[in-house]
Amino acid sequence: MTLVPVTYKGGIYQHDIVIDLIEDLGGYVVQKHVLAQEVVLQCFVPRDDIELIREISRPIFGEVTDSPLVGTEIAIVSMSLEIHHLPHPSCDIAEYVRRIGAKSNMVSLARGPGKRITGLNDEERDVINEHDIAVYLMGNFETCIEHKMPILLRGIEVPVVVCGGPDKETLIKIVDPPVEGYVGGVGRFMRRTKEADQLDKLDEIIAEITRVLEKKREDVSKDPLSVSPARLMNLIRERVPAILEVTSPTPLTVQMAGLRVKLPYDTFAPELRRMEIEDGITLGDIAEVLPSRMRDYILVKVLPFSETNTVI
Amino acid sequence: MLAVEYFEVECPEPVGAEYYKQITNDVLLDHNLLKVIEKLHIYIDPKVPIFVAVGILKPITTVVKVGDIANVNPQEGKMTLVITDETYLASMLRIFWERFGKDRVEQPDRFTVVLYNVPVEAKEIEAIVIGNPSESLNKDLIYAFRQIAPEGFRLRSERFYQGKFSFVASENTLVETIDELIKAKFALMGETP
Repeated sequence: MTLVPVTYKGGIYQHDIVIDLIEDLGGYVVQKHVLAQEVVLQCFVPRDDIELIREISRPIFGEVTDSPLVGTEIAIVSMSLEIHHLPHPSCDIAEYVRRIGAKSNMVSLARGPGKRITGLNDEERDVINEHDIAVYLMGNFETCIEHKMPILLRGIEVPVVVCGGPDKETLIKIVDPPVEGYVGGVGRFMRRTKEADQLDKLDEIIAEITRVLEKKREDVSKDPLSVSPARLMNLIRERVPAILEVTSPTPLTVQMAGLRVKLPYDTFAPELRRMEIEDGITLGDIAEVLPSRMRDYILVKVLPFSETNTVI
Repeated sequence: MLAVEYFEVECPEPVGAEYYKQITNDVLLDHNLLKVIEKLHIYIDPKVPIFVAVGILKPITTVVKVGDIANVNPQEGKMTLVITDETYLASMLRIFWERFGKDRVEQPDRFTVVLYNVPVEAKEIEAIVIGNPSESLNKDLIYAFRQIAPEGFRLRSERFYQGKFSFVASENTLVETIDELIKAKFALMGETP
């Protein structure tokens, strides 16, 4: 059974029917937003049952759309938090990927701007490496991008998409070491992205992120995870009641091969490791529970089948 | 960019020049500064790296007087001022205090100022100069150019003198030859610094 990421949009009336249906079919609801009279569910559902969900939600005017970025955490790497980069374009892009289901975090570098003075410290590097993909938002000049990229990519292990002012071909030529994705024509600008051509550029970024993530998803599926992160999320929600008290918008953030649990590491890590999943197998057996560099959160990295020899 | 007579961005990278032209336009438009600039030439070389902006300002002659922001109503032994625009209220009060003394100036509410027993006519009060918009102009321009220049260019040198300005920024220490560079950029506009 392959689970595919989709977004369900519909009225609040009888939406629990849809949630029950998704759970009965073996899918998972990753995020639920209630906005006045509207409900948005970001979920994983079995590929063959999408039509069934469409059919059942038709009388209550629900809408099911593909959203390939559900269940991913994206780092939007902005060179600084100065007015030069915020709110345009950094916030525009971070917000746009959020609309199609991704959880995006903005990572701003302490020494991002400049050519000679640029740098990446260990905390920034580790925080970026905790995400599924990093989107680097660069400036308008070829010379600067060429000079800065080797420094900013040092130690980065996750796939990277570079956005910059020069066109795509130039970016491919100058970025060294080569990265997974390139989007040209999106450098520094000081206006809101609202015209059609600007929105097309944002769509191009999404397409590039999706392409890179699909490839990563394929790589993950070659050596499947011992447990699906979405399932783990539901289990933690049931077994660790403290997570319900967390006021953060996504107390449990699903990633492609793991989970960010927004609880203090020292207090809750032993409890998480001991948590039984099925037939006496505990979470500690099939996943690494690590301290996150982001505040004092916990990072759960699910181990692949080749390491644990179990799939549940 | 209708209001600006001359506006060029010069850069060894043509793509970068195009983007910076857009950025300059957006920032100056946002800060309402396009109408005060007559000529503007920007030169950026990311290889050096250096950012130079030189330009000519339009002369601003208007000053703000009490009559522009308030209605003066003379009454028996006092004069009531009804304020319509608060922007220059603070500087107006300061001038009144200096001239008439604090005991004769009263502000019962936000939009009213009352003057007691002042030895001048209403016309004279209306003619008092309370503000000069061109004073803050240089500050606004420097702020705008800091936004336009690439962020890493933190070492700056600005000069504003008799309606002409130059703004130089770089990541490295500014070399002594920048004066010649500024002169050359002014010459491109047909002006001298």
